[in-house]
This record gives sequence, C-alpha cells and structure tokens, in this order.
Amino acid sequence: MKHLGEEELVELYYGEAATETNTHLRACRECSARYAEFKQSLDAIRPVAVPQRGADYRERVWETLRPQLIPYQKKTAAWRRWAQWRVTVLAASCAMLLAAAFLGGRYWERTATKKASVPGNSQATQRVVLVVLTDHLDRTERLLVQLEHTDSTERGENAQLQSEARELLASNRLYRVTASNAGDPALAGALDRLEGVLAEVANDPNLTGADLERVRKEMNTKGILFEIRVLLARSPDQGSGPKSANGASI
Amino acid sequence: MQESDHSVVQTVLAGNKEAYGALVRAHSTTVFRVAFRITGNEADAEEIVQEAFLRGYQRLESFQQRSAFGTWIYRIAVNCALNRISQPGIEAEYRHGEESDPAEKTVQVAAQDADPERALLSGEISAAQKMAMQRLTATEKSAFVLRHLEDRSMSEIAEVLDIAPNAAKQAVFRAVQKLRRELAPLRGNA
Repeated sequence: MKHLGEEELVELYYGEAATETNTHLRACRECSARYAEFKQSLDAIRPVAVPQRGADYRERVWETLRPQLIPYQKKTAAWRRWAQWRVTVLAASCAMLLAAAFLGGRYWERTATKKASVPGNSQATQRVVLVVLTDHLDRTERLLVQLEHTDSTERGENAQLQSEARELLASNRLYRVTASNAGDPALAGALDRLEGVLAEVANDPNLTGADLERVRKEMNTKGILFEIRVLLARSPDQGSGPKSANGASI
Repeated sequence: MQESDHSVVQTVLAGNKEAYGALVRAHSTTVFRVAFRITGNEADAEEIVQEAFLRGYQRLESFQQRSAFGTWIYRIAVNCALNRISQPGIEAEYRHGEESDPAEKTVQVAAQDADPERALLSGEISAAQKMAMQRLTATEKSAFVLRHLEDRSMSEIAEVLDIAPNAAKQAVFRAVQKLRRELAPLRGNA
C-alpha cells in the first residue's frame, strides 16, 4: 500500500483531497498518525492579529486619497456607451465610408468640373467621413492613454487592450490608405505610426507588462498620442485636419 | 453590495470622483487586512491601501462589470503587497532583521520548554512564525497567506496572483514545507 505524501497531506488539510486519499487515511493507521501530527503543526500557525483600525480609518483613507484623483471626463461615459455599440456602429460606419468613397470616386470628375453647382453632396460626404474618422481617432486616443498608463501583468486587462487594438488596426489601415491617396501626408503619417503600435500590441501572442513597456519606449507612443490629439484638435477652418477636414482631405 | 458597487463605478466613470469614496469606505479594511497579513508591517499595509485604491481608480475603465469590485480591488492590493515584499531592499531588510537577533529563536524554544501551550499563544511564538514567513519567497508567502489565513481556494489564489492553478498549489505546498521545517524545533520541544 502506498502511503500518503506530504502534498496529499496538504490537500487533506485544506479539504481539497481526492476521495481515494480520504479513503486511504481512514484505512491506514500510519498515515492517520502522520496526518494528525501534520495537522497539529499547521493548526499552530495562526493569523497574527491584524492591528485594529480606528473608527475614522475609512474616512481617513478616503481623505488622503481624494486630492490625488482626477475626475473622469463626462466624455468617458459617452465613450463607454459608444464602446458597447462599437461593433455595430463601426460596421455601419465602414459601410457608409465605402459607399461615400465609391460615390465620391464615381462622380469625382463631374464634381470637379461642376464643383460650384453641387456643394451640398460634397459637404454631406465630408460630414460622414468626418464623424467616422473622428470616432476612430477618439478610440485610438483612449487606447494610447490606456497603453501609457498600464503596467499591468493582468492577463485580462492586456487581452482587452489587444482586442481593442485588433479592431482599430483593421479600420486604421483603411483610413491610412485613403488619407495617403487623398494627399494628406500629416494624417497619413500619423496613422502609419499608429498602425505600427496597433500591430505590435494586437499581434503579440503573449502580451506582458514588459512588452507594453518596450512598445512604449521603442515606438514613442507618447509622441503618437500627441499627434493624435493635435489632429483631433484641428479646427474646421484649418484645411487638412481630420476633425474638420479629414472629410475634405480623404 | 455588488450591484450598488457597480452603479457607483458607473457614477465615478461619469465624472463624479466623490462617489469613489463609498467604494474606499466599503473595502478599505479588507484591503488593509490582506496587505498587513502579506507584508506583516502596519505602515506598509497602510501605504498599500492607498496605492491599491489609487491604482484601482486609474484603471476603473478596465474593471469588468461581471466581477465584484471587492474582488477586483482585493486582487490589486495583493499584487501591490506582492510587489512590496518582492523589492530586494525590503527583503534584505527583513532578512537582516531576522539574522541580527539569533538569540530570539532560542528564547522562543526555551519558552516552549517551560510551558508549551502558553508559549504557543505567546508573542514570541508569533514572532518566530513571522520570521519563518519572511523566509518564504514573495509568491510562496502570498499564496500561503491567501490559502491559510484568508481561506481562499486554489483557483482564487491562481487568479489573484495571475499564475496557473498548479503553480498556486505548488507555491502553497512549498510554503507549508518550509514553515514546518522552520518551526520544527518548537514542535520538538512541545
């Protein structure tokens, strides 16, 4: 008869032993005696008394913490609602973008020659593209902020980051190519650098905190974040910027 | 509580940072308890409470609504405590503290000789236990604290420490082995 090993005694002690182990323990005197001694030794390891906290402790923790917290912007809540619908909205937006690009291409010449006569259509297309691209840049801004501040070793958090990066990567390619074809080097350049970061995060099979740190350092994510913010901040009258003129430029 | 915690999280994310106070008040003592049990140091535990809630706030957007906020912040706190005791300087400090007073152990054994049952409950025995705990690696110590003192299951420990369930089990096993070995002289005299 094979006697119980120490690992099995540990399992027994914490109530995680297999049925056979319990059966053996009942049948074997030697193991039973060993377990009694083992149990006594572990029972003796008792929790050190946790120092009592005063009645005001919880309040004190909060008061110390409070000044260090920066309120989340209201935009965050909107973004979260948007995130819940993002797959549907993104698909619809991409379809609209493709339709707009198709129509824009088809009627390009006519629009160019009769630009003055059909300003309404052109502006409508610009508005559609503007909304879609601004949303894309908003999401990438969020992701880069998250990337900047995470030092996580948590698999779940990294997986979420990767999933978001994968989604953005597909749409980013489309926008980059379009921006490049439309002759908007500022936007195309920024999207190109962004694509590198997204690809790096999205395609790492085992993304760790160290990998994120490397991406941050090697790919200058802070610089890219700054570029994205500049693009987002461009006003409508600044010509080629995305917020305004991403529509015009693409 | 879980339902209301989730709605508080939503309120915080909507821009009301004051609402986070409710979460801090609700969970700070639990966080302090686990931090103290892992570090064995009151000042460190207090700092870990602050650090855990600050990190929790900064990462609130990544909080998965399907889990409880209490579990989530507990996990962050354990990680903070683990990082704290893994720092080489701190570990060396603990070890230096142990080795600088070798007579202490003798005193404990002597106390056990005189009256084992009382000695078992004495502060000196607790100190021996504390020193034995400090000889464990950071992962072993955290895993043992979670299993033995916090009564967490192996799968919970694996999740909290972000390791495989088998690795969690092995960490607890190694900790038990080392502690029994360290405390064997006291048992011998009992």
